This record gives sequence, C-alpha cells and structure tokens, in this order.
Amino acid sequence: MSEPYIGVSRPRVDAPDKVTGATRYAADGYVHGLLHARLVLSTEAHARIRAVHREDALAMPGVVAVLVAADLPLATTGTDRTAEPLAREEVVFAGQPVAMVIGETQAAAEDASELVFVELDSLQPVVDLEEAMRPGAALARLVEEAEGGGDLESIHAGVDHGRADADQEQLSGNVLDRVHRTNGDAAAAIDASDSVVSGTFRTPWVYQAYIEPQVSTAWLEPSGTLVVSTSTQGSFVTRSELARAFGLSLDRIRVVAEPLGGAFGGKFALVEPLAAGAALALRRPVRLVLTRREDFQATNPASAQVTHLRVGARKDGTFTGIEARMLVDRGSNAGWGVEGITSSLVAGPYRWQAHDVVGYGIQTNRFTFGAYRAPGAPTAAFALESLLDELAQALGLDPIELRLKNAVVEGDMGIGGNPFPTIGAVEVLEQVRDHPLWAARSTLPDDEGIGVAAGYWPGGNEPAAAVCRVDTDGTMTVVTSAVDMSGVDSGFVVIAAAAFGLSPDKVRVVHADTATGPYAGASGGSKVTYTVGRAVEGAARAARVKVLAAASQELEIAPDDLEVVDGVVRAVGAPGRSITVEELAKKTLRFGGRYEPIEGHGGSAQTVGAPSVAAHLSHVRVDRETGEVELLRHVVAQDVGRALNPALVEGQMRGGAVQGIGWALFEQLDHDEDGHLLTGSFLDYAVPVAERVPEIDTLIVEVPAPDGPFGAKGIGEAPVVAAAPAIANAVAAATGARLHELPMTPARVWRALRS
Amino acid sequence: MIPAATRYERASDLDHALELLAEPDAKAIAGGQSLIPVMKLRIARPSVVVDISRLEFRGVDVRGDELHIGPLTTWDELLDVPEFGRPALAAIPECARGIGDLQLRNMGTIGGGLAHADPASDMPAVLLTLGAALELRSPDGERTVPVADFILGPFTSTLADRELITDIAVPTPLPGSGSAYVSVEHPASGFALAGAAALVGPDGGARVAVTGIAGRPFLLAGDDHRTALETADVFGDRFASAEYRRELASVVVRRAVERASQRAKEDS
Repeated sequence: MSEPYIGVSRPRVDAPDKVTGATRYAADGYVHGLLHARLVLSTEAHARIRAVHREDALAMPGVVAVLVAADLPLATTGTDRTAEPLAREEVVFAGQPVAMVIGETQAAAEDASELVFVELDSLQPVVDLEEAMRPGAALARLVEEAEGGGDLESIHAGVDHGRADADQEQLSGNVLDRVHRTNGDAAAAIDASDSVVSGTFRTPWVYQAYIEPQVSTAWLEPSGTLVVSTSTQGSFVTRSELARAFGLSLDRIRVVAEPLGGAFGGKFALVEPLAAGAALALRRPVRLVLTRREDFQATNPASAQVTHLRVGARKDGTFTGIEARMLVDRGSNAGWGVEGITSSLVAGPYRWQAHDVVGYGIQTNRFTFGAYRAPGAPTAAFALESLLDELAQALGLDPIELRLKNAVVEGDMGIGGNPFPTIGAVEVLEQVRDHPLWAARSTLPDDEGIGVAAGYWPGGNEPAAAVCRVDTDGTMTVVTSAVDMSGVDSGFVVIAAAAFGLSPDKVRVVHADTATGPYAGASGGSKVTYTVGRAVEGAARAARVKVLAAASQELEIAPDDLEVVDGVVRAVGAPGRSITVEELAKKTLRFGGRYEPIEGHGGSAQTVGAPSVAAHLSHVRVDRETGEVELLRHVVAQDVGRALNPALVEGQMRGGAVQGIGWALFEQLDHDEDGHLLTGSFLDYAVPVAERVPEIDTLIVEVPAPDGPFGAKGIGEAPVVAAAPAIANAVAAATGARLHELPMTPARVWRALRS
Repeated sequence: MIPAATRYERASDLDHALELLAEPDAKAIAGGQSLIPVMKLRIARPSVVVDISRLEFRGVDVRGDELHIGPLTTWDELLDVPEFGRPALAAIPECARGIGDLQLRNMGTIGGGLAHADPASDMPAVLLTLGAALELRSPDGERTVPVADFILGPFTSTLADRELITDIAVPTPLPGSGSAYVSVEHPASGFALAGAAALVGPDGGARVAVTGIAGRPFLLAGDDHRTALETADVFGDRFASAEYRRELASVVVRRAVERASQRAKEDS
C-alpha cells in the first residue's frame, strides 16, 4: 500500500499559534466573576497541625475566604494528594498546601496569604532514604491512610509489577512496597563469572521544569455541573480523580484540557482538586496559578534513588547474572512509586542468564513523588550502563561490541517474564558504532573522552478512540481527547491524511473534553502516537469507506475499484473518472442529501507494547582543575518504529537528550537535614540552558512496530534514558574518574579526580 | 511572586531623587535586575521605588588620568567602550560579558550591581584590582569611598539611605599593564563560585581580587596569593564546599594572572 505524506518533515501544526502568542493556555481564559486562590504551604517537613489562624487574612480587603481541608467538600479520607489536597492533621513535607486564600485579585490573595498563621507541632522529619527503611526508623507519616490512592501508576508504563513475595526482610513501616523479581541463581551466576563489577549509584529528586506552572480553573454551571479548565496530561483521569475526591458522578464533571505548556509527567490531577474544591465550597469560579516557587515546593518531582548493582560476564562478554537492590524515594506518595518500573528496567535491553532484583518504595518527608519522562529509567540506566563500561574495560572489550553481544532481539525473555516484542536494540547500537565520533575516540586530546550508553522505554498501551469528519469544504477534522504534550497532533494529521487520502494541509485536529470527546487516556508512557494514532488511522479509514461508498454511487464504479488520492476519488487505472472529496461532502451534508456523512470512528486496543531503544554517544572535555565538564558533541540514535514526521521525531530526540544532560550535569532538588528545600528557584536549580548544550546529532532508526500506525511507536521517553550514563562514561574515558552520583557537578567531579 | 504594594516615582534630577528618597523605606531603582526579584520574593518591600534611570550618570569618559564610569551605564554598554579596548582595561568588558544574560545586561547597571553588594557579584573584583573609587552624594554632601571600603559584607554596603552612587573613578593603569577576569560560575545563578580579577603592571607585579568565596569580594594581600587564600575566611555550602571554593579560587587567580600578564605584553 502506498503511504503518501508519511516520513516528510513538516512544521508542527500548533507552531504558528504558539509562536505568535495566539494560543490560549489554561491561565488565559476569561471567566466572569473569577476568584483567585493563593496557597499557604507548610514551612516544616513533618508536623501536626495545631491550628490555622485566619482572622487577620480574612480582615484584608478583597479576601473572600480562607479555606482549610475541612472546608472542602471532600468525600474521601485518603492521604493522597487528590483525597487530601490540603493537609488535614499532619503535614508530611515542607511545601505541602495547608490552606488556600481566595481573593478578588491575585494580589489580594497573596497579601492575605502572608497573614495566615499555621501553628505546627514539629515531628521528626525523615529525610535520609537509607535510614528511613531500617527497622525502628521514625515514620514519615503517623496518620494511617484509610483507603487506597488512585490508579496513576498504570498510566506510565506497560511493565508488570513483579511479585510481592513472602521472603522476609526486616524493614521499617516507611517501606510501602517491595517488588522482587528472580530467575535462576543470580549470585552463583555472578560469582562464577570471569569478571564482576559492582557499585552504588545515587540520583537526586529532579524537577520537571515545564515552562507553564501548574494551573487550574473551576466553576459550576447553573445546572450544577463542575467544569474544570486545566493544564493537564489527561482529561479523563482528572475527571475520575475529581469524582473520587468529591463523590460526584462522572456526568456532573466536565474536564477541559487546555493547550499544555509542558508537563513531562508532572501534571496529573495535582492542582485540580484545589481549584475544584474551592469552587464547590464557594460556588464561585476559582483559578489557582502556582508561582514558580510554589511549583518547585508543592508539586511532584521525580524520585531520588539509590541503586546497589552487581553484574558479571564471561571472558567472551556474555552477560551472566544481575543483582540489584533499588531504593526509591516516594516522598509522601502512598499511592504508587517507580520501584516496579525501575527494577524492571535496570536489566536494560540485554539478555541475562539469571537475575535477582528488588525494588523498594520508601516514604520520606520530601515532596510527593510524581512521574518525569521515563520514570525510573534514567536512574536505572545510569547504574547499569556505568557498570557495563567498567565491565568492558575489565574484559578488554569494545563497549559497543559488548552491548551488541548481549542486546535483546524479539522473543528474548525480559526480566519481567514476558518476551520482548519487536525491538531495535541491535540496530541503534550499530548506528552509533558506525558514527564517525566513535571512531574519533582514539585520537582525542588530553582530558577529552567519548562515552556510550543505551537504554529503552517499554511503551504503554491503553485503548483509545478517535473521530474523523469531512466538511463541505473538503477538509478533515480529527477529533481527539488526547492532550498534545509532545507534538502528537502533528502526527495525527499525517496519519489521517495518509489513511484517508487527503493532503495534510487539509487536516486539522481539535480537542474535545470529557463530555464530548472519544476516549483517550492520559498523555504519558509514550503511548499516544502508538495507541491514539492507531485509533485516528482507524477513524480515517472508516471515513474513507463512507467516501468510497458515496463515490461509487456517483461514478457507478464498485468501491474496490476506486482510490482516494490527494482529496480526489478516482477509478484505479482510469484517473479521468473521478470526483473530489469536497464535491462528495457537499452532496452529503445538506437537506435531502443522499449519502451518509463522511465520518469515521476508530478504536484501538493493542496488547503488545512497542519498546523504543536509544543509544547515545557523548564527547566531553573535563577541566581537571575546576571539575567542570564541557559537552562538545552528543549523538543519539533511536529506534522510532516509523518517523511519521522526522522533524518532530528529531525534536523529541534532542529534547530527551537535553533533559538527560540535565540529569547528568545540572539538576538536583536538595533539602537540608530538616527537609527544607534549598533549591526552590531557577537561581539555585540548574537546567541545561541553550549555551550549555552542544550540537546534537540525531540518527533515526526505523524498525516498524507491527501494531503501530504505519509502523510508528511512542518515542518521547526513550531518548532521555541513557544520556546521563553516556556522559558519565565519557567523563571516565577522559579522566579515569567514575562518578557514582548525579548530577556530576564541578565539585563532585573535582572530588572524584582527587580520590 | 507578586510584590507587595508599592508606589513609583520618577526622579527628574539628583536633587529630586534625594528628596524622594527621604521617605522611610524608599528604594532607588535603575535597571531593576536586583531589586525587582527580591521585591517579588517580598524580601524587599519598599514604600516607594524611586526611578533614577533617567538621571545623567551614564556613559564613560576620560578626565585627566582617570576614567569615569557613570553608575547608570548598563552592563551591555560596557562591552564596546573604546577605552576598554586597552589590554590594561580588558577585564572590564570581559567581566561584563559574563554577567547574567542579554536581557539582564541590557537593563542592569554597574552602579546597581555595586549597591546591591552581592558577595558573589563579579565586577567589584575587577574594580578592586583597578583601585577604583566611588563618588557618593547625599543631602549632606559628597564623599569618595574606595571600592575596597564600600562593600562591607553580604548585601551590605556603606551607602546611606539617602545616598546615591554618582561616579565610579578608575585610575588609568600604567602603560604596559594588563588585566583579566576569570570565574567559575554556579550553573543556575551564573554568580561566581569563585572569580578572580588581576591587574599586572609593567613591572610584572600583580594586584588580585577574588569574589564568590567570602562575605564580600576582597583584594589578596601580598604577592603570595596561594598563602593569602589559605588564610582567607572562605564560605561553603552544599553545592560547593569551602575547601573546593578555596581550591577554585587559587585556580582562577592563577589563570587570571597568567592572562593579565599576557595582555600586559600587548599594552602600550
């Protein structure tokens, strides 16, 4: 089948509005009678709330209300952030919202928020992850959770959760989850290896650093329906979370996902319960826009993690066993953690003869853990890929050849117990092996080095639906409820265009809300193009059936003998006998028309994931005297299935690599020993700004996903996974010093060079 | 991130500015690159901000054996001053180029940066090595204070409430001098973890100042810079320990002296 339009680089469909400022984001919409909320955050990491004094704030002009948890019409008693948007009796991290000031203006609310006095009785803060899991450790939360949290874990990755086995280990009550996976005798396999390497690797809390802070607006329609206009990754999950929080039926809630100003995993029903709770309590429209400082303190960054890892290999490079013990900091998140995902991904895209891997989800008094682009994957890859480099060195093997020897292919068993589907691990490793930068590593000046690393993301699945509709002007509208977080709209356009037979210029995407749209899950887990894109393809094909049926009548030619090319339906082999899609649409969408509207509904329910692998090369120069690492060049090769729009794919690859550079060299949320945030602004929290990012080469590798639209798969998360270990391996190549903690700040590199 | 309510007044001349600054908790504002952020954080809550950006103290000129830099000169304007083309004064544009980003350099002023007295700010180190002095004016009159005596500690200077910097006087270095500024920046703030400015004279002697490692930028005493740094009271935090900052300082001092010495050979 011919596939026009696919694989052609074209501008993002959302770009003109975004660059001209025409896009209306969640904070921009005008709402009559709008009130503004300002949060009062806990100043302590762990305390009991004795009292919230609000009289002074209420006396301020322009202040409508000061709300605490008891004022919100909550229908549930859980302790997750949906069920407890404002702390009830115990605060469990510094920055947790305790009260909300509602003012006629933002300024009035902000002025009054300073006058709310929260009286706290201090409790022991739990901030050390390893200490927290020891038997007898102080508990990070004293009030028992009455019921389970929501179902946010399943959004992110299609990995199994291992088994909660019965083997006993003495652990404190802070350990909320223990995931253990074994196969064979890993210890024996490692001990019998020709070479064994091990290490402990530490990674910090990392902030998603989206441009648009979290924002949500809520109001009640006269009918009583709660409407929430918000910056979110998923409208339906937000609706179900709000229904749970406030005991409302789904038909009483309408969630409108506005154009997203960045999220990267961080925008899942965190602020909506606050805005909605205030609107329900006051029966007036309320908007909450977090300041950057609040966004740093009160949201849900990526977990800190400690990984103890040991791996072995035979002389010829064949991997033997892998043992991992992975401590994941959940902060206050009792609902889920990445211990399941990270302890699956720590094996990498490689074959192992035996494994013994355990992940712990541990509560502390730091933040509330949340997802961040490939949650749990960069931390796992940093540990594994650093050790594989040491293994190659110990065995005297080329690091890429070592990885190639063990790279999984379709059918190889993963450590989760499922065979890998189609996967391009070998192909991407071959790409970086053949890149000129890899060949250049033997001729570098002093203090320069080139490192390699690979990592993958399993890709998620979730049933989805979409609608395609052709109008009387011959253009097509794709209706979706999927949030465009990464450029998926532009992918939908070419999918619909190719599946129907219409120029992409004539296809647009509109976003429906939970009351009007076909179902689509949250944008996360690298699954939107793969699953919703498949539904769009189905919808366009269904619409094509309608246009062929109409054309068949008009042209008196059987549908099977017709084709749709660039908006014209014509006889196969006799293109002169034709009618345009526009003409046909005009004949259908009118009083007395004879044909069914040219519309299609499509759905998808893939059961096999589409993992994406990315391999990186990084070229660095290290200043031995100051410890500064300068990136000179970076290469990323990724298996993307099929590049629907190569320009967008390359943008995702570069963006992922840049966020990986952030993990490697810059980003860390740091607390003092009492759990107070030390890095709560961009003056303290470093991100990889443009001047610190080198040229990034992108190598697109296409190993088609059997069940993806035109072979495409989700590609957003894979490119972040192994960027940091590639840089760490480059630093080691340049200096001989191996860093076991991210980010590799100048001070840490300097220290490593002296030890 | 909304500042507390404040009033705004624009000063038409120096006397007007000093009159407006008579109000308790008044604050002068020029480029606003230091004041506005701390107002947004509500660390500063001025009763009135007195806009002095239209006053005449802007630009660079030569009078006798001194260069005079108007305190309202922006960082960006310091980049292409013909007089700073001399290797002896190269540290000034070299330092200015590394301050903040383009937007900040377009708005931020050298006088504002000095008055803010951030212990890690870059330019005071350069002015210290060049032996600059500040002219300050208040309703009580005028006084001249060497930069070395102006900054007292973190965010603290000798500037009085109703006093403004009206001139920065830099002695013209001897022919055959060279200057340089070298720093290692905090990757988020861009402020110096350690910065060093050096002025090397025709006799090869070096005057060196460091910033970012202590409560204020300071001149290193004597010729043995390493020993001077070893005895300095160096600040440390979780990002960069005192030990590391002290080591960084010795590295940037050496590099600044080397670069300034090179430049001295090209100066005439």
